[in-house]
Amino acid sequence: MGDARRPPSPPLPDAGPFRRAFWRSPLRGPWLASILSSALLPLIAICALTGFLSHAAYDPDLGGNSLFDEGVDLYFFSWPAGPAWLYAVTQGLHIISGLAAIPILLAKLWAVIPQLWERPAVRSAAHGVERLGLAVLVGGSLFVFATGVLNIQLYYPFGFSFVPAHYYGAFVFLGALALHVAVKIRVARRAFRERGVTAPLRDDLEHTEPEPPLDGLHTTAPESPAPPTMTRRLLLGTVGAGSVGLGLMGTGQVVGGPLRDLALLAPRGEGFGDGPNDFQVNKTFDSVGIPMEKVGPGWRLRLEVDGERRASLAREELLELALITASLPIACVEGWSTTQSWTGVRISELARLAGVRDAVEMEARSAQSSGAFRRATLNRGQVDADDSMLALRVNGADLSLDHGFPARLIVPALPGVHCTKWVGKLVFKERA
Amino acid sequence: MRRFRYEYGANPAHLLMALTSFAVVAWALAQALEVLGDPGRFLIWLGGAVVLHDLVLLPAYSALGLLAAGALTGGEQRGRLRIAALNHLRVPALLSGLALLVWFPLVLGVADSTFERANGLSNEIYLERWLLLTAVLFAGSALLLALRARRLARAP
Repeated sequence: MGDARRPPSPPLPDAGPFRRAFWRSPLRGPWLASILSSALLPLIAICALTGFLSHAAYDPDLGGNSLFDEGVDLYFFSWPAGPAWLYAVTQGLHIISGLAAIPILLAKLWAVIPQLWERPAVRSAAHGVERLGLAVLVGGSLFVFATGVLNIQLYYPFGFSFVPAHYYGAFVFLGALALHVAVKIRVARRAFRERGVTAPLRDDLEHTEPEPPLDGLHTTAPESPAPPTMTRRLLLGTVGAGSVGLGLMGTGQVVGGPLRDLALLAPRGEGFGDGPNDFQVNKTFDSVGIPMEKVGPGWRLRLEVDGERRASLAREELLELALITASLPIACVEGWSTTQSWTGVRISELARLAGVRDAVEMEARSAQSSGAFRRATLNRGQVDADDSMLALRVNGADLSLDHGFPARLIVPALPGVHCTKWVGKLVFKERA
Repeated sequence: MRRFRYEYGANPAHLLMALTSFAVVAWALAQALEVLGDPGRFLIWLGGAVVLHDLVLLPAYSALGLLAAGALTGGEQRGRLRIAALNHLRVPALLSGLALLVWFPLVLGVADSTFERANGLSNEIYLERWLLLTAVLFAGSALLLALRARRLARAP
């Protein structure tokens, strides 16, 4: 330690966790921090990329799709209408990589916790800047993971809107992470060069030595290490087991089918039964407060073009049109999917019935009187796609009320919440 | 340049990267505060997460770990079997604790009503499943420890 450069009167007490000797684990040090970061970074990269893709999948510049008015949007393409599994995969990866990253993040924070208490608190302006960035990084990372994990379990204790908070929280996190990686990459290089990337994993307990410091760098290598009680491979193995375990729980609810049992503690790990309508529901009919008469025998589908009513069809009339059947997933933003066989009328067929020549977009409106997702706007590709349909039946039976009876949207690669249920009206927009 | 390094403590590229990073963070914070309408709660969650982790969660599990280590391997009791026993206790405890930390809203049933409104199922099963997972982890670990103890006893 450069004691000569230490200020004469340290502002923090030289006691408790402020003493370097307080932190005794022999496993802490730059190599441990670096190996954990090397595992964490790819997961964060996947999670961030798929997160921004999910934002794009909502096509927020169409109709009322945007959940908030964003100043700047990292969104520069129309979400495609295929392959059908696209959103199930990107959003599944988002949730799986996010869950798998949690144990590694916690281990990483454990590995570097002595830095929180280091004295002097600020060695130089540059060090102060780095510490400010670290405060933002730790807060931002815990914030995005905590809000994400609470959201997939439908628990909202935070009292602010999830989507914009998670979205802008991610920019806070990634902005701070970029600085951290840029500043610390040389520590990781040094640690791997001097200790080897995986060599410390080969040491058994007798050969587990405390991590030595790196010359000229401030690290968490312990000053007065306790004798080891755990090998590095056991520590990392435990973290890895937690990571794989959480990842598998996420995978179970993305893949579904027989693998759904893997989702032991994940929110969509419960089965429903064997009937044609026995699969995962996002919002039950009872929860949205639609009066029965709005979906009863008097229900009609209204087709509008640029504000002008063009047609009105009863369910029996829809069933007499040319019907298509396609096996398509419902993929939820919460990271679960379920693939079912849907039967209904092509959206492009309904557009033709409404006398639309060239629809640039179409908004589906639900009989729901409230809720953020009572309407959704499709882009041109989604309106034209062969498998885009207004579904009336699923697995050979009529839709159940929970799955959107009398009719719901099913569109390949579209986020589940945009596959509007209890559709009452389709509003087409033509090019002027 | 040397003057800058002396005054600032790093090279100018460091300052440039820091300013770029802070600009992104400041923009995102400004957006969030504007969109969310309730800036206080957002900032409380951002800062509260750090306080809760660094000053509550981490000290709590570290203290539990030290307690276990003190009881099993404190003082001169550093036999191989005692160290093994400590790890056969710590590993399942960490994994079970991790599962609870991530899935506590379901396990403890704190979000019953929204969960049931959403998918029409009850979340009663999750407490049972977590207890089962915990039991399997500890039982499996104890079994492995017993096998190890036998091997250690036979070893010269």
